[in-house]
Amino acid sequence: MLRSERSSLRRFLLLYWLLTLSLLVLAFTVYYRSQERIMLLEQKARMVDYASEQIKRLARLHRYFPELRTYPRDSRFRSAIYDLEYRQIFSTMQSNDVDFRKDIYRRDGVIHYVKILDKYYLGAKYLFIETPDNLHWYRQMMWKLGIAGVMAILLLALVGLYLARLFTRPMRRSIELLDRFIKDTTHELNTPLSTILTNVEGIDASSLDDRQRRKLERIEVAARTVSSLYDDLKFVTLEGKRPAREEEFDFAPLLRERLEYFEGMMRAKGIRLESSIRSAPIHADRRLLARVVDNLLSNAIKYNRRGGTIRVRLLPGKLRIEDTGRGISKVALSEIFERYSRFDESEGGFGLGLDIVRRIVDRYGFDLKIDSEEGKGTWVVLRWGNEVKGK
Amino acid sequence: MGMKGISLVLILLGSNLVSGGSFDRNCVPCHRHEKVSLRKTFMNALLVYSGEKNMKAGLRYFLKHPSRDTSVMGDEFFRTHSIKRPSELSDAELDEALDEYWERYKVIGNLE
Ligand code: HEC
Repeated sequence: MLRSERSSLRRFLLLYWLLTLSLLVLAFTVYYRSQERIMLLEQKARMVDYASEQIKRLARLHRYFPELRTYPRDSRFRSAIYDLEYRQIFSTMQSNDVDFRKDIYRRDGVIHYVKILDKYYLGAKYLFIETPDNLHWYRQMMWKLGIAGVMAILLLALVGLYLARLFTRPMRRSIELLDRFIKDTTHELNTPLSTILTNVEGIDASSLDDRQRRKLERIEVAARTVSSLYDDLKFVTLEGKRPAREEEFDFAPLLRERLEYFEGMMRAKGIRLESSIRSAPIHADRRLLARVVDNLLSNAIKYNRRGGTIRVRLLPGKLRIEDTGRGISKVALSEIFERYSRFDESEGGFGLGLDIVRRIVDRYGFDLKIDSEEGKGTWVVLRWGNEVKGK
Repeated sequence: MGMKGISLVLILLGSNLVSGGSFDRNCVPCHRHEKVSLRKTFMNALLVYSGEKNMKAGLRYFLKHPSRDTSVMGDEFFRTHSIKRPSELSDAELDEALDEYWERYKVIGNLE
């Protein structure tokens, strides 16, 4: 999947999840509240009775106060009285975190029912009746909601998956089409290309005059460019699926060979090569590593200016390739690894190069850094082995 | 008027030395005389006014402007009693009396 595709898909899914989850939460809250309401109404019927009993006792106490001064208690409930200024007169309740505006509510594991007195016996305007919360109801409710929640989330995930597929189908289609096209073309390209290269190499350059030799060189460069492109395409379509042959070897000879391979192209563009190559052991598949080097070098050539310089430095654990091209803008730099995207439309190619590089580099856990300054050039640093871990 | 004023002040000063606060001086004697229980009036007032501030404010107004309509004693009571005379006490003394009244008869803190 393309990166842009992935990120828009991610955004879509995030939006989908946020919306559906908040809807779910809303639905659950509404359901929970309504069930709570029903449960409380059932409780309330009893508590209203308790309240009127308690009020009678308060009236009696009011009449005989202060000869009688024992606040009336009941084994079935606890209660409290508050005056009009919300001051507590007396309480036997467990929770004295009371709410005067509500009629009935749950709090701290108890249920409070609030009754406003017509006559303020003992100065009490508010009578609170407290009973233990219906925990059985609560647990059952939580179970129900939990099961419903899990089911809803599963369902939403499935729908989300389906929507995501629907959403990305057109993109996937076009990518598949392109892949298939490349696969077909690749196959057809192989034979004529090898023929050209073998024959060009077979011509004895010393028997030609200068003009002819330059022409031959140009043919060779062109053929090599196509050949390198061919290798990329093959990697994308076929090689990616071929089991890699990993081994420990010295990077230096491989790099020299690749530099030699690109020599013609550099010469054709008048690019000077400054290289400092030291022996550098690496663990990878030779052919894959060659793809990385080829792509980095061909970019350095492609985007370099005529008569520019390319600096190549190989140290143990670190390869640095530097060009003097026109550089890449910050925006382009962030999108640089996308398959089929070229950061400079003025140059040819399929835009496969860096995507391939990224895939191989990721596969081996190497570290690749691209840095660029517009108008100055681009620096690419590849690190592996201890260089990566040490960072 | 001058002589009366001076003697009143003397009486007030004297009674102040003999008995306790404003409440005992200004309210208790008449209520004893009239046989109107201050406990009874307090509990009736509580039934209507509920809170401390509310009750003090309500009674302060009533004592200055007594009326059957605003009394907490109920119609039954006034078949046998007549309405009291408006109090002539100063605001400060009235407030002091009411504070003492509340403290002596209040329910808050006296239940168990
Ligand atoms: C001159 C006599 C007299 C004095 C002084 C007096 N009272 Fe009374 N009071 C009465 C009588 C009589 C009633 C009953 C009739 C009525 O309510 O008007 C009464 C009623 C009351 C009531 C019931 C109020 C109501 O709404 O009906 C209260 C409370 C009360 N007195 C408090 C006091 C306090 C406090 C003081 C002192 C500041 C005081 N009284 C001073 C005669 C007196």
